[in-house]
Amino acid sequence: MRTLDIAQLTLGAIASHRLRSVLTVLGIAVGIAAVVLLTALGEGVRQFVMGEFTQFGTNIIAVTPGKTSTFGVSGATISSVRHLTTDDAVALLRVNSVQAVVPVVQGNARVKFGQKQRRTTIIGVGSDMPKVWQMDVAGGSFLPNDPFESSRSFAVLGSRMRTELFGSANPLGSRIQIGGDRFRVIGVMESKGQMLGFDLDDTVFVPTGKATELFNREGVMEIDVIYREHDSAENVAQALKNVLLARHGQEDFTIKTQEQMLSVLDSILELLTLGVGAIGGISLLVGAVGITTIMTIAVAERTSEIGLLRAIGAPRSQISVLFLVESAILGAWGGLIGIGGAIALVQIVQLLLPSFPVALAWVYVAGAFVMASVIGLVAGLMPALKAAKMNPVDALRAE
Amino acid sequence: MRKRDIFEFALGALASNWRRTGLIALATAIGVSSVLLLTALGEGANRYVLGQFESLGTNLLIVLPGRSETVGGPPPLLGETPRDLTVDDAYALIKDASIRQVAPVIIGSAPVSTADGLEREVNVFGTTNELLEIQRLGMEKGVFIPPSDPRRASSVCVLGFELARELFGTDIAVGKWVRVGNRRFRVVGSLADSGVTVGIDFNDIAIIPVASAAALFNRQSLFRILVEAASENDLVHAEQVIHQVIASRHEGEDDVTVIAQDTVVETLDRVLTTLTLGVGAISAISLAVAGVLIMNVMLVSVTQRRAEIGLMKALGARLIDIRQLFLVEAFMLAVLGAIVGLVVGTTGATVLAKVYPKFPIAIPLWSFVVAVMVAMICGVVFGVLPARRAAALNPIDALSKH
Repeated sequence: MRTLDIAQLTLGAIASHRLRSVLTVLGIAVGIAAVVLLTALGEGVRQFVMGEFTQFGTNIIAVTPGKTSTFGVSGATISSVRHLTTDDAVALLRVNSVQAVVPVVQGNARVKFGQKQRRTTIIGVGSDMPKVWQMDVAGGSFLPNDPFESSRSFAVLGSRMRTELFGSANPLGSRIQIGGDRFRVIGVMESKGQMLGFDLDDTVFVPTGKATELFNREGVMEIDVIYREHDSAENVAQALKNVLLARHGQEDFTIKTQEQMLSVLDSILELLTLGVGAIGGISLLVGAVGITTIMTIAVAERTSEIGLLRAIGAPRSQISVLFLVESAILGAWGGLIGIGGAIALVQIVQLLLPSFPVALAWVYVAGAFVMASVIGLVAGLMPALKAAKMNPVDALRAE
Repeated sequence: MRKRDIFEFALGALASNWRRTGLIALATAIGVSSVLLLTALGEGANRYVLGQFESLGTNLLIVLPGRSETVGGPPPLLGETPRDLTVDDAYALIKDASIRQVAPVIIGSAPVSTADGLEREVNVFGTTNELLEIQRLGMEKGVFIPPSDPRRASSVCVLGFELARELFGTDIAVGKWVRVGNRRFRVVGSLADSGVTVGIDFNDIAIIPVASAAALFNRQSLFRILVEAASENDLVHAEQVIHQVIASRHEGEDDVTVIAQDTVVETLDRVLTTLTLGVGAISAISLAVAGVLIMNVMLVSVTQRRAEIGLMKALGARLIDIRQLFLVEAFMLAVLGAIVGLVVGTTGATVLAKVYPKFPIAIPLWSFVVAVMVAMICGVVFGVLPARRAAALNPIDALSKH
């Protein structure tokens, strides 16, 4: 049989049972659309979260006190008998390839200016914070590069804090009270917005040394290090570890590179996308059963046709090819319609709700189409083989 | 037509096309069982998390130093403030009748070592005797930190289950001396295995009196105060009392955040239930697909049985009879699938529950109802079109075809 003939025969069979074919295709289309939509949602969330995390740059390493505990923060962040200090931060700065270090202390205090006051987050940082956290100064200047233990009482306001305390007035040069201590405002930060629920705009930045005094702490909570962009995170982390080991005599700290964190996060989110895709895939499985059913019926209905084809010399393989092509076309057609519908829906959502995290996961879209065709083939396999096995004499006698 | 006839007729039709019937039932069963299994997993996760919180005590209020006025922001979890939240603040709270007991907590990290030179860096909890009851901790051996003046720094400690194993192996830890940081403590008890917990891992922890922790870490400020309200109804009042008492002790400044564990649990419960519903709904899409399949097969069935329908109409069957015949057949297809799905789903859930005994997998009741109802409704709804088609056939045309 010529390829053209096979195509005509199968297309003719599909067209002659229009409603039946449309319904079968619909089953596959719904399944494929579910997979594409759900993975688009997963991919959207992944991109959103990764974007939130990479806004601090990717060449960043965080050193925290204490050995990591299985769950979240070690108690050492709060207090420890072996502190991580600003001296450690200074020592880390000497490591080759390290560009800047920021020792961080965070707490909560009341900030007062005149009659206005607001309880908020106070973050003690070093002068390199804008570079490390990739934030920009909107007005004035950031904290000067004072030695950590003798820094001057300067404060830099987050953009939200500035409007809350000063309204439209110029805050530069004013004196504010944080807790019991007085600080002079020397700068205001650009708005950075929310980072996973944590508002960096509703904060006041003060020198690390001043923050440890304010909160009566001995050590810092974290030291953030940035290194030259093209250096290997692993090598830098190892160098940092050696310096701290030499200073502390034991490993009472934890080093986490942004790369590690991001790759862990990324793999978790990808797994999630795969998971929701798989749940959507259940519908696809049901759709596949639909193809099998319809093909079984088709084989039964066309018994005499098969008998005739066999009688005039068509080999068994050709009979199965005929039915396989038919079911594959049904599957692929369903796939195309499903993908088209899903893409249209995603576009509409992106237009109407731009902040809603959806992004087409093209790998899954392509995968869904391939899968639809494969499912069509596999689902058609059993009926096709059954058709091929028919004895021409019996088949012709069937009707 | 009698009801029995209709049933027998439909059953006969299903049985004579057993291959097709089996496939459609399989499709419906896949949908039903996946709804059951996925909601069972979601429900299991929900129960697990809630159980974890429940085991950490009820009617619990957590007081953190610091208060943030950022709208919708997270509470100041790290708890560093210029003004210390002190042990005296904590005990000032129990004067009100709405508060049953309080446990001040200082947390930090320190190496714990034995005389044999074994050392392990763990989280150290400085607290008082009340923690045992508030957090419902179980003792494996010995006693908890004994009740005494919270300002006295006595040298006793309690080890977590895993820490005791790491330091002393199979030996009995009680009565031995350990060094925590630069101080020596006598082990008076060890905690029972708390399993995997949310939040703080009580297995790998050393607990010492709060005053000893204050000295060890050289800090007066508490990390948390755990407050157990007298009853559930007292929670709101207790929260107000906490704010008032702290404000009066802190020169009028209300600088603490109070978190009710119940609200945390409620929020979690809501989130997880929504998630379960979502997963159930997504898998229910497959039931809709199964419905389309039922419609498809019923349409084929109508086409194939034209002659039969024509004959019945010629014999005087009413429209409603023909419609009922095919509706019942579609419905029975769905029911068959639902039954198989129920069996597979519940068996799967039971097997999973056996394999992971710690994970409380359970199919929620609503899921049974929803899965079966949706399957049946699909059968009927998608059966309507084929049934109407069958009923609309002209008997003369239908008969003349063959």
